[in-house]
Amino acid sequence: MPELEPQLTALAAQIDWPATPNLVPAVRSRIAAPVMLRATWYQSRWALAAAAAVIALTALVAYQPSREAVADWVNVHVFFQRVHVVPTPSPLPPGPLGQRLGLGGKTTLADAQHQVSWHVTVPSKLGDPDEVYLQLPPTGSAQGEVTLVYSKRPDIPVAGETGVSVLVTEARGAVDRNFFGKMLGPGTTVEDLTVAGHRGYWIAGSLHDFYFNDANGSFRGETMRLATNTLILDVGGTIVRIEGNLTKAQALEIAASLH
Amino acid sequence: MEGRPKDESDLFARAQRGDTAAYEEIVQRYQMVAFRTAYVITGSAADAEEAAQDGFVKAYRALGSFRSGAEPRPWLLKIVANEARNRVRSAGRRHHLELRLAERFRPGDAAPSPEAEVVAAEDSRRLLDRVNALSEEDRLVITSRYLLELSGEETAAALGIPEGTVKSRLSRALARLRGTFGEVSRA
Repeated sequence: MPELEPQLTALAAQIDWPATPNLVPAVRSRIAAPVMLRATWYQSRWALAAAAAVIALTALVAYQPSREAVADWVNVHVFFQRVHVVPTPSPLPPGPLGQRLGLGGKTTLADAQHQVSWHVTVPSKLGDPDEVYLQLPPTGSAQGEVTLVYSKRPDIPVAGETGVSVLVTEARGAVDRNFFGKMLGPGTTVEDLTVAGHRGYWIAGSLHDFYFNDANGSFRGETMRLATNTLILDVGGTIVRIEGNLTKAQALEIAASLH
Repeated sequence: MEGRPKDESDLFARAQRGDTAAYEEIVQRYQMVAFRTAYVITGSAADAEEAAQDGFVKAYRALGSFRSGAEPRPWLLKIVANEARNRVRSAGRRHHLELRLAERFRPGDAAPSPEAEVVAAEDSRRLLDRVNALSEEDRLVITSRYLLELSGEETAAALGIPEGTVKSRLSRALARLRGTFGEVSRA
């Protein structure tokens, strides 16, 4: 019998494969609709966003988005996507803050710190948080997510989207696998900056959505949750997101006080 | 086998920057190997199409995790093959895949190409019959490596196993395939 491997190699050209379908049109239309409402929609946060995001998806399909920038951070990929139309947030449902915003269970700062493996940073500029929420897997990010709520602070108007002045959300970014994203409208500006040695982005202007791909590869959408000005920082592998009706100076001052 | 042109990394870099036309070119370039890989895993052209499509969409969402300078085919094939395996798992069964020779290579035809001249048509049919009759594990590794013409790294990505395991599994599968020919010869 002749050598087997050359025979197998020659056989490759003789196989009657099914015709390869042209996948380009279908892929094109699907990637043009970046608001993905898959993954685990039983979670309160995602359920909150679901109705509005479905409407938004319909609007987005009509447009061809173009990526504005992809920036590699040390630990986390930040992914900005420029779109022509950003979904409009739906009115917040009634109920406790944590439930309305899908922040997880209410807890204390000490308990939250005890439950997660990373150091929860707190901005001293804002004083003690009024409420602390913790969301652990499977509903939260792979290593949990902690949200500090600052209900009302001087000179920082309460945001209509949340009903509070500032939210500080922290989650651990896993190496390589994570990327955080913002879907940006035409009126939104993005500025990269460094605060106390931590790289970050200041996103300001019109409403924007937020989504990320967690360490388990699950696509998580936080659309409609908070669409005000945002400062995102990579603090030693922990993503710290400071959101509210803040000026850039206020956001930087808060970020500089993280400890 | 689809080539690896020099502009490949540029294509991925452009796609990462949000150039959807570049990504469409990537899909165009790799859809055949992606579809066929999914077909080998699922045994169904319809499932393979859906798996390949889902895989390309997921890959697009994950472009930020694609490292500059890395080989794109293993990266893409891993995503597509995962989708294909998920479909097999969720369906609870795998379609029986039986590869066939293209019409022009059926026994009795004149040899139309250099490849066909290497192996006589009847030998090709017998060889393919024996590949089809192998165990799932043997068939997958031989089909991936030789019939899909994947590299060792790509085969590992497609099958979700380490490259070293590909080598050992391939070696055993080839030995078993040789054995079946030996049995036929002695018969």
